Amino acid sequence: MVILHAGLCPGLTAEMIQLLKANGIQTVVDFISSDLEEVAQKCSLSYKALVAVRRVLLAQFSAFPINGADLYEELKSSMAILSTGSKSLDKLLDSGLYTGEVLELMGAPGSGKTQVCLSIAASVSHSLKQNVLFIDSTGGFTASRLLQLVQSRTEEEEEQVVCSVGPVKLLVVDSVSAVVCPLLGGRQSEGLALMMQLARELKTLAREFGLATVVTNHVTRDSSSGHLKPALGRSWSFVPSTRVLLESSQGAWGKASTQRIASLRKSPRQPTGIQVELDIGGYEALEERPGASGEEL
Amino acid sequence: MSAARAMSEGFGKAESGAQLLARLEGRSSLRNLEPYLFADEGFPMHGDVIEFHGPEGSGKTEMLYHLITRCILPKSGGGLEVEVMFIDTDYHFDVLRLVTILEHRLPQSTEETIKLCLGRLFLVNCNSSTQLLLTLYSLENMFCTRPSLCLLILDSISAFYWIDRSNGGENYNMQELNMKKCVKFLEKLVREHLLAVFATTQTIMQKSSSSAESSFSLKHQCEAEVDYRPYLCKSWQQLVTHRIFFSKKCHSSNSKGFSIVSCHVKRNHVVKCSFSVAECGVQF
Repeated sequence: MVILHAGLCPGLTAEMIQLLKANGIQTVVDFISSDLEEVAQKCSLSYKALVAVRRVLLAQFSAFPINGADLYEELKSSMAILSTGSKSLDKLLDSGLYTGEVLELMGAPGSGKTQVCLSIAASVSHSLKQNVLFIDSTGGFTASRLLQLVQSRTEEEEEQVVCSVGPVKLLVVDSVSAVVCPLLGGRQSEGLALMMQLARELKTLAREFGLATVVTNHVTRDSSSGHLKPALGRSWSFVPSTRVLLESSQGAWGKASTQRIASLRKSPRQPTGIQVELDIGGYEALEERPGASGEEL
Repeated sequence: MSAARAMSEGFGKAESGAQLLARLEGRSSLRNLEPYLFADEGFPMHGDVIEFHGPEGSGKTEMLYHLITRCILPKSGGGLEVEVMFIDTDYHFDVLRLVTILEHRLPQSTEETIKLCLGRLFLVNCNSSTQLLLTLYSLENMFCTRPSLCLLILDSISAFYWIDRSNGGENYNMQELNMKKCVKFLEKLVREHLLAVFATTQTIMQKSSSSAESSFSLKHQCEAEVDYRPYLCKSWQQLVTHRIFFSKKCHSSNSKGFSIVSCHVKRNHVVKCSFSVAECGVQF
C-alpha cells in the first residue's frame, strides 16, 4: 500500500498531493483506479498532467509482460541442471536439480534427509565447483560428516578446503518445517501468512538468481487414507515443484541399516511412483553398495 | 513519419472508430478450444470466466499448458493462432515444459517455428495482490491494441489469500479489498474487450461438514461430490461462469490418472471426464 508523496515520481508535486488528499485519493491504488476526468474537474488539476503521472506510476509499480520467445531465449542460457552426485537420485529427478525450482525431501525422523542434503552439498561444491548455501535449523549439520564426504571425493587437502567468492548455485534449507510448524495452528492466520511469505521468498530467490533449492519437511499421516503426506498443510503443498519421500527399506528388521528408499511423489516432468534405493551411510555418493541387492552380477 | 506522429498523438485519447471495429470484430473465435472441458457450447465464449479448482498435483497447470498450446499453435499445426496473456503469481510457469509439449504437437518443428509460437504468449509475474491489481490496469492497453489477444490466464488467483488475510487485520472487508478490486477490474476487462479468462484456485481448505455451510455448497449438484469449499470473496464466486474441479485418482488401475468434473454455474449442467498426463501433455 504505497501512499502518494512528493517525489514519488516526476510530475507529482506537493500541491497536487494536497488537492488529491482532500478528495480522498491517498494511495497509488486510489489514484490509478480513479476516473481522471472526474479528478481533474474536482481538484482543478490539469488532465494531461494527471494522465502523465498515471503512466509513470503504472510503469513503476506494475509488472511488465515478457514475450514467450524472449523468455525462452533467456532461460536456455541461464538454466542449469545440477547433478546430485548420485546416479540413482539423478534418475529420480530427471538428471538432477533444476535451477529455478524447489525440491522438497520429506521423511520421518531418521529417514536420512540431512544425510542426503549433506551428500548433495558435498557433491555440488566439489564436483561441480559451485557455491552452496546450507541453512540448518535443526542442529543436524555436522562438519565432520561433511569432511568425510568431501575427503572421499578427493585426496588433496587443498582441494578440500577451497574458499571461493561467487554466486551461490544451490540453497539447502534443513529443515523448513522445524521453523514453520511452531507458527501454525490456532485461529490466527499470521502463521500461515508468514509461511506463504517464506515460500514466496524461496521461489523468488530460486527464479531470480537461478538457484536450485532443496528443503526438507516432516511427514504426517492422512486421516482418511492412511497415506503419508508432507507436513505443513495444504497451502505449503503447492510450493515445491518436485517432492521425494525418503523411507527406510523394509528388509532391515531389527537391524540398523543405512539403506533407504526414495520415491518420487510429485514432479513437473516425470511420472510419479518411481523408486530408487539409496545408501546414506557410505562415504561415496549415495549409491547402493555393489552386491547389496543380492543379485548375481 | 507523420503517420507515426499521428499514432503517438492518438495514444492517450479515446479510441477511434477503426479501433472500435477492430476490437469488436477482430477478437478471434475460441471455437474448438477443448470440447472435453466445456459441457454446453463446446467452446468458451468471449466473456466466460472459467475456474480450475483442485488440490496440488491434480493437473491444473498441465491443463493450462494444453490450452496454451492449442491457442498458440499455427492454424496449419492444428491450433487457433491466437495470443495468450499468462499472469503467474507464484513462479510456477515452466516455459521449457511448454516447449516440450509444443515439440510433440508439431512433428516437424524447427527452432524458428517454436519461437514463432512462443511469440504469441505473454508472461507476467506478480508479487502481491496490489501488484496484480496495478498490472491488470497496465495490461488494459495491450488488450485494446491487440485484437488477437483474447485469452487471459491467472495462475493462480488464490496465491495471495493468506497474506491478504493477515494484512487486513480483523476486518473481513479490508482483507478482501484488493481481491474485490481485482475482480471488479477483471470484470470490466472481460466485458469491454471480450476476453475469456481461465483462473486456477487451490484447494487450501477442507470441506466443511457443518450444516450451515453445506446448505450453501449443495446448491449445485456437482459441488456436493467434490472437495470444494469456497473461500475467495463473493464477487469472484459471482463472476465465475464455469467451474472445473480437478482431482487425482490414487492408485488407479487404468491409465487415466486424473479426473475432472466440469460444471456450468448458471445452468447447473455437469460433465465428467478423465485424462492422463504424458510427456506430450494432456491426453484425454
